Amino acid sequence: MIPYVNEYDTPECKTLAETAKKSIRTPASLGLDRCIQCGACTASCPAARFTDYSPRQIVKKVLENDRSVLESEMIWSCFYCYSCNLRCPRNNSPVTIVQVLRQMAINEGIGVEKLAYFLEIGEYLAENGASKVPGAGVKNMERDLGERWIRFKKNLESTRVELGLSSRDIRNTHGEVQAILEATGYFEREKWLKAKIQEKLLHQLLENQCIKRENRSGDFGFESDRRYPGQPAFII
Amino acid sequence: MKAIGDIPDSQLLLFKSCMVGQEYPGVETSTCYVFDRLGIDYCINDEQSCCTGIGHYTDIFEGLTTAAIGARNFAVAKRCGYPNITCLCSTCYAVNKEACEVLNTNTEVREKVNSIFREQGLENLVYEKDDMNPRTNFYHAIEILLSKVDKIKEQKKFDFSRVKTASHHACHYYKVKYLDVLGNPENPQLIDNIAAACGAEPVRWYEDRTLTCGMGFSQLHLNKSTSLQVTKTKLDSLQKAGIELMLHMCPNCQIQYDRYQPVIEKEFGVKYDMVHMNIAQFVALSMGAHPYKVCGFQTHSVPLEGFLEKYGII
Repeated sequence: MIPYVNEYDTPECKTLAETAKKSIRTPASLGLDRCIQCGACTASCPAARFTDYSPRQIVKKVLENDRSVLESEMIWSCFYCYSCNLRCPRNNSPVTIVQVLRQMAINEGIGVEKLAYFLEIGEYLAENGASKVPGAGVKNMERDLGERWIRFKKNLESTRVELGLSSRDIRNTHGEVQAILEATGYFEREKWLKAKIQEKLLHQLLENQCIKRENRSGDFGFESDRRYPGQPAFII
Repeated sequence: MKAIGDIPDSQLLLFKSCMVGQEYPGVETSTCYVFDRLGIDYCINDEQSCCTGIGHYTDIFEGLTTAAIGARNFAVAKRCGYPNITCLCSTCYAVNKEACEVLNTNTEVREKVNSIFREQGLENLVYEKDDMNPRTNFYHAIEILLSKVDKIKEQKKFDFSRVKTASHHACHYYKVKYLDVLGNPENPQLIDNIAAACGAEPVRWYEDRTLTCGMGFSQLHLNKSTSLQVTKTKLDSLQKAGIELMLHMCPNCQIQYDRYQPVIEKEFGVKYDMVHMNIAQFVALSMGAHPYKVCGFQTHSVPLEGFLEKYGII
């Protein structure tokens, strides 16, 4: 399948850095070129605290135009908490750069299987004008949260009425949201994503039958960093 | 930096939040209850849609879709004469503010969005540059509460002076557009000052005060163990600080702490003593709102009955 080019999130440029700077996802003032590799981002990062994720390394890879960063599992670990965005002394924003990298990866079909879980959100938004936790998430929540939450969910409509709200949170968008999602190309991309996910699952199935899958996580980083095991999490 | 004196109390569009509506509807009714008693001029408009936040930050919506949906909601706000978008959710706040900034500064995106509207026969949604101001048209509902703390103080009905509270200030309010917030994002006091107006005793500091809740959009679902480890870190330090009530300003954080506290207790073999509320629910309670018919505490995962009995509310 041909890659899906998403021109506003991932404008085609010569380098990763140019694409990141021109993307709709990053601010015009993005200080990517001003990065001094101080590591304030990594020091502030909740994902870095508990995993080997490093926003500093990701920014370095982008500046070096090393496209292998798109294949790294690392880019899927960010919480989008924007702590790095707040703390960077050079007005860089690793969190928004990672958003662009994920979009670039998706264009090439990398990591698309992670989106399968959330695709329902688009259709639900078009129909109801609101978003919801996707069905698979609800199943996880039922398993984790148990009887009390299931009961609350069953009673949600009557609870809302008791509070003086409409029984369901459905918005009256006159079909405008549906029309917008069609015209921006969202549904077209969603179709592409679904096909790509199918293709990948099939491929994986075949691959599993022939070769043992290699573990790709943790294959990212500098030599010196690879030897550094990271600090153990500090639990109070 | 925002100034409290500049926070408006009229023409506010109370921006409905999907996660509030589906998980903690009492946050919306509590906010309305408090706004009504503070004499705030606001409206709720069912034509307003989701901001796209959940899909935007799970990487399924592209920037153009988010900008176009933003422009449509701005048109809804302006058309009904309530252009000050006031959010219950910190992600709605950040997404809307950012969409407005993009539409004002990126001519290519604005023209594309407008051409989509014209193509679809939605001329009434067309966004002209500076139709909205990212600094003066976007607020979080609790900024309005902070601007009225004196009135909140006057209207308190219960003695919460023994309640030790801690605040979880939302990342998407304080860390996205960090130059345009009330107070210092490294040491936020927003929720604490409102809690103090209700007579509570907020703790000045606890370890990892500015750490994210751990929900991380796709992280809770794709990397659950890391997600819960982050949440546990904060709950551990709150337990150590002897907190009785944790106060929130974002439904996503509230889901993570209130819904998952019992899960963490089970999975990690720990026990926590704190209960959870959105600050608007706490203010409403303090003003005498019914705990179930207004605050909607029946939707919480960590039961509040012990707390409500202790302070003579039920």
